Amino acid sequence: MPFRLEKRPEPSRTMLYLTPAAAVLLTMIVGAIIFSAIGYNGLGAVREIFFTPLTNSYKWQDLGVKAAPLIIIGVGLSIAYRANVWNIGAEGQYIVGGLAGTWVALATYSMSGPWILPLMILAGVVGGMLYAAIPAFLKTRLNVNEILTSLMLTYASVQLIYYLIRAPWKDPMGMGFPQTRLFAESARLPTIIPGTIVHLGVPIAIIVALVAWFIMSRSVFGYQMRVVGTAPHAARYGGFSENKTIWLALLVSGGLAGLAGVLEVAGPFQRMVPGFPANYGFTAIIVAFLGRLNPLGVIFAGIVLAITFVGGEVAQTTIGLPNAATGIFQSMMLFFLLAGDLLVRYRIRRTAVQPSRSAA
Amino acid sequence: MDLLIPIFVTLVGAASPILIAALGELVVEKAGVLNLGVEGMMLVGAIAGFAAQFYTGNPYFALVCGAAAGVAVSLIFGVLTLSLSTNQTATGLALTIFGTGLSALAGAPFSARPVQLMAPLFPPELATHPIWRVIFGYAAPVYFSLIMVFVLWYFLKKTRSGLILRAVGENDLSAHSIGYSVVGVRYAAVAFGGAMAGIAGACFPLLLTPQWAERMTAGRGWIAVALVVFASWRPFRLLAGAYLFGLVMTMELYAKAGSGPLSAIPSELWAALPYLATIAVLVLISLRRDGSTNAPACLGKPFMPSN
Amino acid sequence: MPNRLELSGITKQFPGVLANDNVSFAVKPGEIHALLGENGAGKSTLVKMIYGIMQPDAGEIRWNGQPATIANPKAARRLGIGMVFQHFSLFEALTVFENIALGMDAKIPSRELEARIREVMQTYGLLLDPHRTVATLSVGERQRIEIVRALLLNPKLLIMDEPTSVLTPQEVEQLFTVLRQLAAEGCSILYISHKLHEIKALCDTATILRGGKLVDTCDPRQETSRSMAEKMIGTGLKDIVKPDGRAFGDPRLVVNRLSTSRTGHFDVPVHNVTFTVRAGEILGIAGVAGNGQNALLDALSGEIKGHDREAITIDGVGIGSMDTTERRRHGLCAVPEERNGHAAVGDFSLSDNSVLTARDRLGMVMMGLINSGAARTYTGKVIADFAVKALGPASTAGSLSGGNLQKYIMGREILQKPSVLVVSQPTWGVDAGAAAAIHQALVDLAAAGSAIVVISQDLDELLALSDTLAVINMGQLSAARPVKAFSVDEIGLLMGGVHGEKEAQHAVPA
Repeated sequence: MPFRLEKRPEPSRTMLYLTPAAAVLLTMIVGAIIFSAIGYNGLGAVREIFFTPLTNSYKWQDLGVKAAPLIIIGVGLSIAYRANVWNIGAEGQYIVGGLAGTWVALATYSMSGPWILPLMILAGVVGGMLYAAIPAFLKTRLNVNEILTSLMLTYASVQLIYYLIRAPWKDPMGMGFPQTRLFAESARLPTIIPGTIVHLGVPIAIIVALVAWFIMSRSVFGYQMRVVGTAPHAARYGGFSENKTIWLALLVSGGLAGLAGVLEVAGPFQRMVPGFPANYGFTAIIVAFLGRLNPLGVIFAGIVLAITFVGGEVAQTTIGLPNAATGIFQSMMLFFLLAGDLLVRYRIRRTAVQPSRSAA
Repeated sequence: MDLLIPIFVTLVGAASPILIAALGELVVEKAGVLNLGVEGMMLVGAIAGFAAQFYTGNPYFALVCGAAAGVAVSLIFGVLTLSLSTNQTATGLALTIFGTGLSALAGAPFSARPVQLMAPLFPPELATHPIWRVIFGYAAPVYFSLIMVFVLWYFLKKTRSGLILRAVGENDLSAHSIGYSVVGVRYAAVAFGGAMAGIAGACFPLLLTPQWAERMTAGRGWIAVALVVFASWRPFRLLAGAYLFGLVMTMELYAKAGSGPLSAIPSELWAALPYLATIAVLVLISLRRDGSTNAPACLGKPFMPSN
Repeated sequence: MPNRLELSGITKQFPGVLANDNVSFAVKPGEIHALLGENGAGKSTLVKMIYGIMQPDAGEIRWNGQPATIANPKAARRLGIGMVFQHFSLFEALTVFENIALGMDAKIPSRELEARIREVMQTYGLLLDPHRTVATLSVGERQRIEIVRALLLNPKLLIMDEPTSVLTPQEVEQLFTVLRQLAAEGCSILYISHKLHEIKALCDTATILRGGKLVDTCDPRQETSRSMAEKMIGTGLKDIVKPDGRAFGDPRLVVNRLSTSRTGHFDVPVHNVTFTVRAGEILGIAGVAGNGQNALLDALSGEIKGHDREAITIDGVGIGSMDTTERRRHGLCAVPEERNGHAAVGDFSLSDNSVLTARDRLGMVMMGLINSGAARTYTGKVIADFAVKALGPASTAGSLSGGNLQKYIMGREILQKPSVLVVSQPTWGVDAGAAAAIHQALVDLAAAGSAIVVISQDLDELLALSDTLAVINMGQLSAARPVKAFSVDEIGLLMGGVHGEKEAQHAVPA
């Protein structure tokens, strides 16, 4: 073999930040080739998905609105994954957060006041936390795998929406549609830029990411998450409880997913509908990894994924690319990123012709 | 009795795809690899099987296509985790996201175009009496799944290749130092898991709903992963677990259709039941354990020979 | 008769290290040949090339007089070379029989293989039940599996890599009987060790390596332990400087009927452990691996939290029910045996590793935030005071060599000036220079008034370092006595689980 891998004495910082960019670039190239091969306009697909949302200023507000929930959930997941807690049920926590907010909005339907929205947000965060508390309890008490429980709860939460909007929360004036009534004025998230759809959730997302970055890099809490995730045995030796960390990781990631849920239902939707689960919780997994589990990186990753969402819709109308293509581009990005991790830990060396080879 | 027999027949049909996928995952995990992409591989197998059935009408060819598609996507996982040592959890998740997207893209042209369901393996004369239906009334994949339970039990317990596979899953470094190809064994296991997941996926359009629907496996791949844990990595317990889930899903069907006492419960709760039942069985199995699990010692850990 | 094995001019280069430099020696048929050297002297690299795991960059291997290329372990086994590794390559969840079957190159029917296994076990007195699961066996029994596996191939040369590091003195004697029987039958044995008294007792010839080079080939029976040690280490031996006539102060660490419960399937818990360590005293705890040392360290450090507050007291304060952080505040620091992943985090910088255990005692945390400047300063001091070879506080722990990482870890705890320090295997896998430095630092800390507990499997280390000594076996601790009151035989019997003289007659470990 003319090349061989050599372990780096220290992980490469350059590669750590370079590989996400390389992953996006490779996704464009390979994506263009694959979609051309199966009979679509491959170059056009890449152009519409990755560039049109950026060049067309009319699409920027869509980007912000799509990126906000991805960033909020992605930040939470990046914290949990640092601690090696695999919460993949953020979609479910997002849904329950949205439902909790909806419950407050419906219960205060006849009232008004500036306290309603904060109460909804609080309910959303608590709802997400409570839903994430189930896998936390099962993991810490009974050592039940959190991947499976959090995911199963996501499937169950979708049915919970269907039930609630079909029966008890159904809009009486909705002509039989399974949805709640439109929220009252006080329960709607205000837009911050007049004339656009950019709502309060967008700056909240940025603030959440910045605060999380500060906490993760400077505080004992962040240290705890990192050390438990990297070396659980050493963490115990250093005085950090693994169970407490699992609880914290799930509550934080669940609470943030719940926050995203309530912001989404009070902002873009303004009522609970069957289409509320929009896969943000799953896409945020890609966001967290693409952002290198770093809250600042998550901001950029959230925007990149938002671009593919918006771009996917553009490509659907302009060049007839099926909506499912977006998912393929997104998962390709994750594949390339994971593969690129190798370059963080190893370097590729050209080998001279060697008389011997090691058994490795 | 008249009710029990159709319930049992439905149950077996619903359980078999889960059983097939779980048997594949069991072999993968016994080799020390955790592939969480079962759901994605099943979806790819489902659309490949659907398309083959749509164009050829030959269900056996459709099953082979499902298996081949499952192997193809499982090898993406294999290259990443085995050759490039990526994190298995993350890669498995990525595979599921990928499989979901790929099947949706490939399946878009087939929406609202039904295919033929797979006919029972034995001639209908054998299954005229209701009792005989319980034995002879199924399509080939059902019998395949039962045979595979036995075959895998024998393979893992009694053959030298099975011993090597278990050894690789228990202690990859030792297996490597003795001179076995850890990566080679794991590639074979991952490909086998992909084939089984692909067949399991193809069973959905061939046995259950003869229509293409996005995400038509509806989390059954994840239930298969959970069942492997529930079964403590033992093939015969997997059989019991899969049929238990078959029962839960059959009850859902009857509750939605019928007007009996079951239908008083909201249909959404029935729909959520398989997922809640999955959590319940995981809790149950964790209560039973006395500290030790039967999990392969290297499960989910990347293989990194140092010298 | 030609030499069984002959090496000439063997050289092996790794990035940055010349592991073997022009090494030549020969092993005769039926000879027990010692390969002697410090950790890092190049012994392991050399035998890996003989066993085909690695290939030499230069030089020649001759087998029974013929030049041989040993491409891989399979080829080595075909020639008749067997090897018993220091770290057993066994599968815990599988049975003895399955483990042996996995190691066989030829396909032999199960029944025939089992018959042959029983035959070898009978011939050499290596008794084991083939259908037991390995996880339930002791370390000595596990080694027997490896030996049986090697003997099934009728080897002409058996390589033993540090075989006695985990055995009791009695088990060592049993092993030597087997090896002598093999040698009498004409099998050559290459015996790798750094334990001089064993080599004097067992071997016909000794080849000594230092820094990858061959220093001498000698007859160990004609040498003294000291002369061989000097050849092995190079410069004259440095003894630990212990001030004479030391007096101990008041009891600082008092442990009273400390017990742990079984956590995992294969853990050995401790039961009713009682001892006292005074200010200035070093208590050594000897014992064969896997007899409850880990549970004892965890129970003392607080990783296993007890319920009885008074089971452990420091300077009269009961800390038995506190967690690790609170115990550190009360002055108890601990260093577990495993460096990477337990005492330190390989992926973290040294600075971040200092935060792991020193954050509270040295005020590195303010209102939940970490003062990284304080951590850096402290780390720099540890690096300087303990001569840690590292680029600086920002280099990762994983980039340090074993010895340097251990020096850093010991320094990190010692510079916190703990009232009580508990360490396990402080010099495991550490080169002689670093070991001497660590020993001296422990003695100095004791001289400054701390109470120290050293848990170790290295008897030589304990005899040199400790003031008092106790032996742990199956989770029970013998009474502590001044180290001079023990004979090595007596310690050996205690390690094998025999307490008191009378029982010594039937003290054959199972």
